[in-house]
Amino acid sequence: MAEEVTSRAATVLQTTVEASRSVRWYYEKVTAAKKNNKPVVWAFGLVPREIWHALDIPVVTLEHFPLLLAAKQLSGKYSQVAEERGFTRDICAYHSCFLGAALSDQLDAYTEKRFPSPDIIVASNFPCNQEVKTPQYLAEHYKCPFFYLDAPINPWGEEIKKHAVEYYETNLERLLVFLEKFGYRPDWAALQESVRLSQHLLRLWNKIVDYRKKAPTPMGAADGYICLYPLFQLPGTGIAVEIYERLLNEVRQRAESGLGVVDEERVRLIWAGLPPAYNLGLLNYPERYGAVVVQSELEWIGGAILDPEALNAKKPLESLARKTLLDFVNPTYSNRINLWKRLTREFKIDGIIAVNKRGCRNLPAGNRLIKDTVYQESRVPMIIFDLDGVDNREYDDAQVKANIDTFVESLLSKKGGRKQ
Amino acid sequence: MKSLETMRRYVREPQLLINGYRALGKKIIGYRCLYVPEEIIHAAGMVPYPLFGGPEPISLADSYLQPYICEFIRNVFDRALEGKLKFLDGLVLCNTCDAVRKMYDHWRTYIKTHLCYIINNPQETYSNHAYSYYYIELQNFRLEMENFSGQKITDENLARSISLYNETRSLLKKAYLLRKQDPAALSGAETLDMVMAAMIMPKEEANTLIRDVLKEAGNRVDRRQNSGPRILITGSIIDQPALIRLVEEMGGMVAADDLCTTSRYFWQEVKGDNPMDALCLYATQRCLCPCMHPAEKRLAHLQELIREFAVEGVIYFNIKYCDPFIFEGVMFKEVLEKTGIPVMVLEAGHDLSGIGQLKTRVQAFIEMLW
Ligand code: SF4
Ligand code: SF4
Repeated sequence: MAEEVTSRAATVLQTTVEASRSVRWYYEKVTAAKKNNKPVVWAFGLVPREIWHALDIPVVTLEHFPLLLAAKQLSGKYSQVAEERGFTRDICAYHSCFLGAALSDQLDAYTEKRFPSPDIIVASNFPCNQEVKTPQYLAEHYKCPFFYLDAPINPWGEEIKKHAVEYYETNLERLLVFLEKFGYRPDWAALQESVRLSQHLLRLWNKIVDYRKKAPTPMGAADGYICLYPLFQLPGTGIAVEIYERLLNEVRQRAESGLGVVDEERVRLIWAGLPPAYNLGLLNYPERYGAVVVQSELEWIGGAILDPEALNAKKPLESLARKTLLDFVNPTYSNRINLWKRLTREFKIDGIIAVNKRGCRNLPAGNRLIKDTVYQESRVPMIIFDLDGVDNREYDDAQVKANIDTFVESLLSKKGGRKQ
Repeated sequence: MKSLETMRRYVREPQLLINGYRALGKKIIGYRCLYVPEEIIHAAGMVPYPLFGGPEPISLADSYLQPYICEFIRNVFDRALEGKLKFLDGLVLCNTCDAVRKMYDHWRTYIKTHLCYIINNPQETYSNHAYSYYYIELQNFRLEMENFSGQKITDENLARSISLYNETRSLLKKAYLLRKQDPAALSGAETLDMVMAAMIMPKEEANTLIRDVLKEAGNRVDRRQNSGPRILITGSIIDQPALIRLVEEMGGMVAADDLCTTSRYFWQEVKGDNPMDALCLYATQRCLCPCMHPAEKRLAHLQELIREFAVEGVIYFNIKYCDPFIFEGVMFKEVLEKTGIPVMVLEAGHDLSGIGQLKTRVQAFIEMLW
């Protein structure tokens, strides 16, 4: 069973502890706001986080809350509640877990403390259909004001068409108008400042990424997963910038002293798809072979592939539109595939571990495309197997580890072969 | 009925139509789904051809798309990989469900027809700026179709195509409304065959045949007595009549359906003087699928059908892994049941191979409605 095999991520950085504290800090802030009668938003889909922070709106997001529950081994329990309410086990576990917690009559103490009820629900169809369906249901259930933020898809790659950016930008403006009804007045100076901070954060992120390309890598995917919180959930805040400044210093120092994640880095891997939030130690598992998962693809979510110089604080909504629409999790895959080509090349990757999350219709469908494209370009192999990063009920530790063992052993023997 | 028999034959043997299109030297453009404006393709002198699944089990597609994604789309993609859709010159998709959107990159990479295009339509249909945005998308699409066909799309041609397609819509609706009568002159399964045939046929020929259906139906003596409970079927795509037939065999009367192979295809007409404006407006006014917003509009449409067709129970059909309908099924069931309409949610694979297992549930549902 999942409980017996789960392990926490073994991290190497001090700053990771701070990133982890920022999670607690933010959830406490949201609960305190609720106590003070500030309207709380439940947000679904990749609505630019900078808006919440600029307007000081307390928010619980679909993309993070279920991960917290999964880390506490609670995701399966809540998904089960949703299933008892008529949702099939085939939907995305982010959604079933969130739905279950939202519909449950009996929350455990941990969840209760971090899950204030919604006063407003905002949903965007980016990146998938489910992002709108759960909130529609919950808005009806809670009799809650609902805002739908329509996002175009991006089949163009890096050059997003002007009319699509403008369309999304106008939708963001309408979101601001909607939020004003609940006392959240659009504050343009604050929005500009938020975009400026977000730009600064992205610059820091890019520098950190450059150090992580070095061999041995000074920071692996286990630290990366936890440090993602400020980058993805807190962009546009001073606290995220502070954490990332310290992260950059620490990573730089480690890189300059040649400190890696393992003593002898023999194989470099990247993780595609969602790592198991209930068993993050799996990211460290290949280290017994001297194999390091140097990054997970997820670390680029939230528009982190955008060139920071493309953000312009004087045009906050246009900037946020670009950042969102460029995201690699877009329902069409050009940017995701380009990201993979780049990562494999620049990180000098030996192999890719890709997982299919059962209820997700978005990322798994791209795995075969990535596999073929990357292999064609750089002969880097990819293993694909089933693993749901949120729902701990179906996790098969022995099978997952056997897959990783076989893959890493084949990479090692290939490398050994090359040396001879 | 002779006319229906002819239409049914085209559904079973679409190659007959494809050969005909080829003989005329027409380019055939496959498309999914209803938010692709067929008239623009038609006005460029090409054939818009809706893609349906086939009866064969999925084989190759499972190593390209994860098995946990809509079986209908995997089936279509499988047919493409197997070379069964080689007659297509291109593919046009639109921004609806995740499964449809996933086909875009896969098709471009692995099937490689000369054209693979996705219309980036908005998924909300009520604001002016969604309309303006969609207008640009449609203009881009029109240009793309002109380039691909090598034929200019004049406003006159486009208006002619719209009027031809409107005629099909209005005739299909007339035939659909026959099921308001008791006894009904057409069954649900027959209506499905008729609409699917009309979707893939040249519209001129389809219109003649539907007119014949209407005439023959008027004289029909073997009418189906509406002795059973009146049922509405809605949900994921149904491109073979097994479920509808099952309900009818078990004594239910499929009085109405809201499917992308039936009424969603023809319920409204494209109206307006300027053809591009008319097409834009149509997208905002037509019956919605659950990928579009607002959901309330779709619910209101279902409730109207329930009233108009005196529906006593709703069967909500989900193809496995079809998220838009899976979620909506749970949501609408709660709402409709509060208004006294019983709803049964059924889930099955696209090939409906497990239909036998659904038999008991369908039977129990119909008995409950008596
Ligand atoms: S994991 Fe997949 S299905 Fe779930 S919310 Fe994310 S993109 Fe949507
Ligand atoms: S059946 Fe559902 S998932 Fe499949 S193509 Fe239709 S709407 Fe999309």
